[in-house]
Amino acid sequence: MKLFAQHGYGEGEKILNGLKANLIDGIVFSPRDVSPNNLELKLNDYRSQFPEKEYVMDPQYYTCVLGTHPNLNIGKLSEYQDYYFNFQTKNRLEIEKNVIEILESSINFQHNISTSSIIAPNIIIPRSFDSREAVIAKNFIRLATNSYRKKENKKPLYCSLVISSDAIRNIQDLQEFLSDITLIDEPPDGYYLIISHGSSDARAEIFNSDTISAWMLINHSLKINEYKIINGYSDIISPFLSSVGADACCTGWWSNLRNFSMERFTPTSAGGRLPIQRYLSMGLLNRLTFYEYDTLKDRIIGIKNNLDNDSIFDNGEPERAREVLQSWEGIKTLISLFSTPQIKDNITNLNMHIENALNLYSNINSILPSLDTKSNSDHLEPLLFALSRFSQITEI
Amino acid sequence: MISIPIEKIQEFFSDYTDVEYIDKGGFKIVYKGTIGDKKEALKLFMLPNEKDIYSPDELKNELIEESKKRIIRELQILEKSKSPYIVKLGNLKPNEGKIDDYHFICYSEEFLEGENLATLIRNNYKPKEKEIIDLLICLFKAVENIWTDSKAVHRDIKPLNIIKTNDLLRPFVLLDLGIAYIINETPLTVEPSQRLPPGTTRYLAPEMLMPNFRGNLDFRSDLYTIGVTAYEFAAGIHPLAKQGDDLGVTFSRILNEKPKSLCDYRDDFSSEICAFINQLLKKVVALRPSNIKSLIKILVSLL
Repeated sequence: MKLFAQHGYGEGEKILNGLKANLIDGIVFSPRDVSPNNLELKLNDYRSQFPEKEYVMDPQYYTCVLGTHPNLNIGKLSEYQDYYFNFQTKNRLEIEKNVIEILESSINFQHNISTSSIIAPNIIIPRSFDSREAVIAKNFIRLATNSYRKKENKKPLYCSLVISSDAIRNIQDLQEFLSDITLIDEPPDGYYLIISHGSSDARAEIFNSDTISAWMLINHSLKINEYKIINGYSDIISPFLSSVGADACCTGWWSNLRNFSMERFTPTSAGGRLPIQRYLSMGLLNRLTFYEYDTLKDRIIGIKNNLDNDSIFDNGEPERAREVLQSWEGIKTLISLFSTPQIKDNITNLNMHIENALNLYSNINSILPSLDTKSNSDHLEPLLFALSRFSQITEI
Repeated sequence: MISIPIEKIQEFFSDYTDVEYIDKGGFKIVYKGTIGDKKEALKLFMLPNEKDIYSPDELKNELIEESKKRIIRELQILEKSKSPYIVKLGNLKPNEGKIDDYHFICYSEEFLEGENLATLIRNNYKPKEKEIIDLLICLFKAVENIWTDSKAVHRDIKPLNIIKTNDLLRPFVLLDLGIAYIINETPLTVEPSQRLPPGTTRYLAPEMLMPNFRGNLDFRSDLYTIGVTAYEFAAGIHPLAKQGDDLGVTFSRILNEKPKSLCDYRDDFSSEICAFINQLLKKVVALRPSNIKSLIKILVSLL
């Protein structure tokens, strides 16, 4: 099970340092945040230095229907219009010929640069599987392999599958959708799966038991049917996905690279203050502010990870560019703890880990009764319910 | 109760010698007869008499037509099939006949020497793990063949429809495609909303109990019933249904109950084969593995 960097704005040397320290196993590039020329330069540079790592590019074609949005911000993605990107209407996407053209141009572009795999484009399923968009999305998947074969590609082909958390919570519809995509005539090698939330900071929506159990179900079903799965923007949910068969998960340095929302492309405000620096505590399955971590780390055993990159937080607030290294290290270690081939054991161990986290929070309460809203234990109960719901659906 | 004297049957099948009764079920009676030096199974499908159909007059003909079309569909699939694990057609081509008041369609299939699995289960036969693996491989290949050649789902895989032969090249053979469903042809069931799903209740896949199940049907329903059959053959009991359960309870068990692991009944079996069969029994269709070639590969590795 691998951890990839979710590339985005403000890369600096974060990824380079992550690769050097072997904290990440690859990169999912964001064309919104790098021009076509620079993408190629970066790919060649990283590949020459770290040839064993994996490099893919999310075509971000799900933004193609945002053309008329008043706050559109697709960044450098507009520079890809010479290659594959263009705005679309849903009417046009219902026509097979147009979908094939889109697939071929995007696949050609990725074929000609140094990515290790190809991610076929797709649109987002925004509300329901019983929708026009879901039909279009399934057509993209069904037609992708044929478009890919025309280039006699040797790179593995992943299909993008971008689903809103609203849609996946309807478990009956999700099961039917999975039944369809696990039995297609020309299957891809795998899926690049993104679950989209209303906002990348909406913790109640992100830590929703139905959403997480459904996300786990998608991974488990695809794995049983022999697909590889890369989960984009999975951050702290990653160990839950790896426990049921995911091959790779991704996270980055800003909250909009940790949790996916279409708001990333349609921001409601122009900027704001820099986010608070946070330490990812494996024991809590959560991040604490630097102040909280500094107060608690030596008083409660289990808060501190005792990993190499803890040192980043040892001497005061860390350099902003290095914060993500500690996050990657923590998540990668968590993933390794819950990725045995025995799913039942992984689920049992995750349950125990959450119970321990609840105990840690009880202990914290006596020292710091009031934590930051993002640091508190509100995420743990939904995670417990998600495991229980997943076990029930899958009869594990 | 259908009762035709054997002399009249022998007279009807005049090209055959030594005609004798074997079995009956539903609207079907099966005889055995010899033609040349080969034994064949002679199958008579009774067409419903109008007076026995308790439906409005306008539906009676449609129901009789449905019966005829089902037989034709079964024969179409059997004619296309080249799999040794599916019963083959015999010399007698399908034709309509009448003896006394009984109106039927008849044709012949090869006669398979052996026992059906239901009889073996009743006689407390305890197969070894290797035999279960052989059974699974034969049935997977049969289902793959039906799906590839005809885009059809068998829908009635159960111990009664599988013969354990003495032939090492085809140790298990699947029979009776009478309610097979071809996904891209017109459904045959008349008044489907008024009738139970086609198949044998205890062997219905969970998705067959859903409204409008025909729109989502594929061979993974057969994978479920293969799992149920292999489990029952190995354990001697059905994984979910119990004697004395009424229809509602059986449906509820199929939809909601998690079966015990096969290893609870057969501690001499490996955990791998028990987990393998367990995966076929998943209620969510997308949790049953869809790559039959991979499934066979896994089974071969367990031998």
